[in-house]
Formats: sequence, C-alpha cells, structure tokens
Amino acid sequence: MSTKLVHTPEGVRDIYGEEKAKKTVVEGLLHKIIAGYGYRDIQTPTFEFFDVFSKEVGTTPSRELYKFFDKEGNTLVLRPDFTPSIARCAAKYFMDEDVPIRFCYQGNTFTNASELQGKLKESTQMGAELIGDASVQADAEMIAMTIEALWHAGLNDFQISIGNLEYFKGICAEAGLDEDTELELREYISGKNYFGAEELLDRTKADKKDKELLLKVSELFGPAAILEDAKKAATNRRSRDAVDRLEKVYQVLCEYGVEKYVSFDLGMLSKYNYYTGIIFKGYTYGVGDAIVKGGRYDNLLKRFGKDAPAIGFMIVVDDLLSAMNRQGVEIPIDDDILKLYYTEKDFEEKLREARQLRLADKKVELLPRP
Amino acid sequence: MSEDRYLTFALGKGRLANKTIELFEKIGITCEGMKDKDSRRLIFTNEELKLRFFLAKGPDVPTYVEYGAADIGVVGKDTIMEENRRVYEVLDLGYGRCRMCVCGPRSSEDLLKHHEMIRVASKYPNIAKDYFYNKKHQTVDIIKLNGSVELGPIVKLADVIVDIVETGSTLKENGLEVLEEICPLSARMIVNQVSMQMEPVRIRKLIQEIRKNL
Repeated sequence: MSTKLVHTPEGVRDIYGEEKAKKTVVEGLLHKIIAGYGYRDIQTPTFEFFDVFSKEVGTTPSRELYKFFDKEGNTLVLRPDFTPSIARCAAKYFMDEDVPIRFCYQGNTFTNASELQGKLKESTQMGAELIGDASVQADAEMIAMTIEALWHAGLNDFQISIGNLEYFKGICAEAGLDEDTELELREYISGKNYFGAEELLDRTKADKKDKELLLKVSELFGPAAILEDAKKAATNRRSRDAVDRLEKVYQVLCEYGVEKYVSFDLGMLSKYNYYTGIIFKGYTYGVGDAIVKGGRYDNLLKRFGKDAPAIGFMIVVDDLLSAMNRQGVEIPIDDDILKLYYTEKDFEEKLREARQLRLADKKVELLPRP
Repeated sequence: MSEDRYLTFALGKGRLANKTIELFEKIGITCEGMKDKDSRRLIFTNEELKLRFFLAKGPDVPTYVEYGAADIGVVGKDTIMEENRRVYEVLDLGYGRCRMCVCGPRSSEDLLKHHEMIRVASKYPNIAKDYFYNKKHQTVDIIKLNGSVELGPIVKLADVIVDIVETGSTLKENGLEVLEEICPLSARMIVNQVSMQMEPVRIRKLIQEIRKNL
C-alpha cells in the first residue's frame, strides 16, 4: 500500500461504517421535522461566483474562502455557507412571488480555516430558510422547529440562546458611536469581554450613562427574566422595540411549549454582517462552538434584486453528531443485514429468495459459500 | 442546567496559578491539594462546591477551554492573543502585569520608521504578524524561536524581537531596549462559550464575586 496515497488533507476526513450510518439516521430525523413544517428541499451549486459571498454580503472573510478560477477568469468560491446561495436563488426564480416561501437544504460547506486547531474545513450543514415573512410567528417557527429537530434527533440537554441585534444598535446610535468603534465594541461585547469594552469606551466621547448601558449589554444574558432588566436599562425606542419583539417571540414559543430550551443573550452579535434583527444560537455540551446558528436577514435578498424579509437557521450536523457521541446519546441504526450463501449449483434458488426478501424490505447480502 | 455537574478550571502553570489560587481563596473557593508542591496528581476536586481544578501549560489553557474540557481558564493575555481561540474573555484579573514589546538594539530603531522589510524573531509569531501587518503596515519576515529570544538580534538572526517585557533587565544586560510597545498584558479569565450559555447564573455569580475582590 502506498502510504502517501491513503492520507486525506488536513481538515477533511472519511466517514464510514457505523459513524456514517448514524449520520444518515440523524440527518433523516432532522429532515423529517423540517419537512413536516412544509419546507421544500432545494439544492444549490457547490461553487458560485465570488461576489455571492463577498465582503458586502458579509459571510466568511475572504482569506477563509476556497477560491479558484474558471476558464474565463472568473473567481469562483466553494460555498462557506448556504444562506447567500439560497437568497440568490430565491431572488432569481421567485422574483414575483408574494407568499412566503420555505426552503430546506442540506450539504457540505467549505472554509479554509487555520491549521492545527482541530476544526474541519469541510462540514455538513442542514438548514431552513423562510423568505417573505417578517412576522413574530415566523421568528418563533424557526426557533421552535430548531428545538423540535434537535430533540427529535435525540439531543436532550441543550439551550437555544436568542438575541436581537437591534437592541445593541439602538444603544450605539443613541451614544453616537462611529462605525469603527461600534465594530470593535461589537467584538468585545460578543466575547463577553467587559473590561475590554470598558477600556474602549473610556477612549470615546460617549457620556457616562450610555457607557454604562453599553457595558451592561455584555451581562444581559440568561433566562427570560433578563428581558425585564433589558427593557428597564434601555430608554431609546429602537432598543425597546427590540426587547418587545423578543418578548412576543417568547410568548409564541411558550405556545409551542418549548420555552424550557430557550434563553436570551442581548450581547449576541454575529460576525455575519447580513443578520438584521433576531439572531439565535444553539449550544450543547461536548463541542466548543454553537451547533446551531440562525437569524433574520431582511436586507440580504435586496442585494440580489428582491426586496423581501427572511429568516433562517442551520445545524452543523458533524458537530451535532460529535456532541451526541460525547454525551452518550444512543442513535438507533438499522444494521440488520441478512447473509445468504450460495454455491454455483443453487445460485438461482438463492437469488430468488434474496429478491423476495428485498421486496419485503429486508436487506440481503449474497455471498459465495466458503 | 444540571446541579451536579462539576465546573472545571484550567490554570496556567507557574506564578499565575499561585496568584489565582490566592484570589479564589479570598472568595471562599479552596482547593487544598493544589498547594502541595510534591503532589503528582493532575486534577484536584472541591466536592463541596462541585469544582475541579487542573494545571496545564499556558498555551494549552485556551485549547482546553475552547473544547469545553475546562469550563473556565486563567491565562496570560499574550497566550490568548497568540492562540486566538473562540472563548469568552470575561475578566482582567490585574496580576501578572507586563508588556508585549518590539525590542532590539538602539541601532534598529530606524528600521521601524520606514516600511522596509525586516526580520523579526519571536515566540509569538501570530502577535508579531498581526502587529506589523495590520497596525504598522510593514512587511516583515517572522522567525519563530522557542526561548531566549533576546539572542536573535545579538547573533544577527533577526533585526528586532517581539517579546514580553516585565522589568527590562534581561534586555538591558544584553544591550537591547524596548523600541515600541505593542500592548499591556495581564492575567485573564476565559470561559467556554457553551458553559456560559448553559449555566449563565452560576458562572455570572462567580465572575461578579471575583470582580468585587480585585
């Protein structure tokens, strides 16, 4: 065996045997729930023009994209996530549609992340997008569906943390921060870095009250009771509306009966620029990062020529599986394969038997008698 | 969520760990086994408060915390910057203060004023690269060294070094000086993102208590 040929590059790997069987089962379970909400499957290309994922659309930093050229010299990119592709596709084929459209997708994404940090460069995502519906019910449907899907897949101990970007933006606008400061502050607040934010704000001209308020944002996370604190803290209209929205979403989530899995984090500020309002992330023990990311992106479709609100989420299937594995969650795999042995003489008879069993939904493997 | 889950702390070995243990004692968190220098145990438990502690090499602390092998870590800012892991950096503990600096012989000072290509030796290639590329907009050649970085300029391996400066006495003895300061450093407390979201009440209480005692 050539030892050089059997290796895979760093960041990609083979998935086989029991692990692949489990992955297929979990994907099936997730998909069943999403399909049950009326989401239709959609498939977009693995690579697209660079501009679909460019800085203005705001997904992955350019240096983390896998880029290459076609014969005409266009720059192409392996998709780092699905949302911009779906937005492009929806804008193209459903330009005149007024009713909400629901899509479900599944496939691999590629990010050229740093070496030796134990992160996969190719990972499977499954997700859903709801386009053309700006309602509270749409927000809640997304979150409830996420919870139901994770739960149906067999995960029990997890939390969906919900934030609203508008809350932070409202306070920033009131404090009159410039864009650069806001971006830097965003980094600190989403990293729960209280003292870093404090130091940065001390250098700005914002007044004391606004400073305290901005610092408080990094501490506004936890159970639904914190929404009350958040409301008291912020006096500006935009931030209050943001909390109102969260409260309404929470009410609907209670109607779904999934409030046990829900918490809030007003300091959650995604690095993806396209998110506009509600954002949420799903956390569980056993993996370092969120296994679910989602949110509202009301301005993204405009970039592709269709002005429509939208909300979506995606589950990182590989991370979900490794979390389930570490938590010892059983994944039932159907591994019953009947073995039928034949000799040259009785092959015809065995073949007939095998066919009948297969018609009865049995799995049958034909083997020569040793 | 679950009450009986242990909170695990990863502490960077050395002086920082001792200071951290002192600080924790102030807020009533004790861990007797930790102070015993001769012990060969790697992990120590406080059954009463459901806490576990272990010592790790500094640069590994953010790794343990990112993967959730530890919920909380205490480590120098230099390590956090160099490793660039996805963790919450929640507290500046204030001790272990020093500075990350560009150092070299006085004659090298001029090299930093123009955008010419120079050689930089460092134990912290990522920090050095970020500083020269993104802040100074100077293209540099970075050479990773694993210790006694001060040797670099002396034996002409590099023009300048990027390293931690505490008192500056090592520099002085070797005819080097601080040419530029990159940033101040100190011990930081970091928290795993998942732990923070799963147990916000318990961890936030801990952070607030420590902040009061700084």
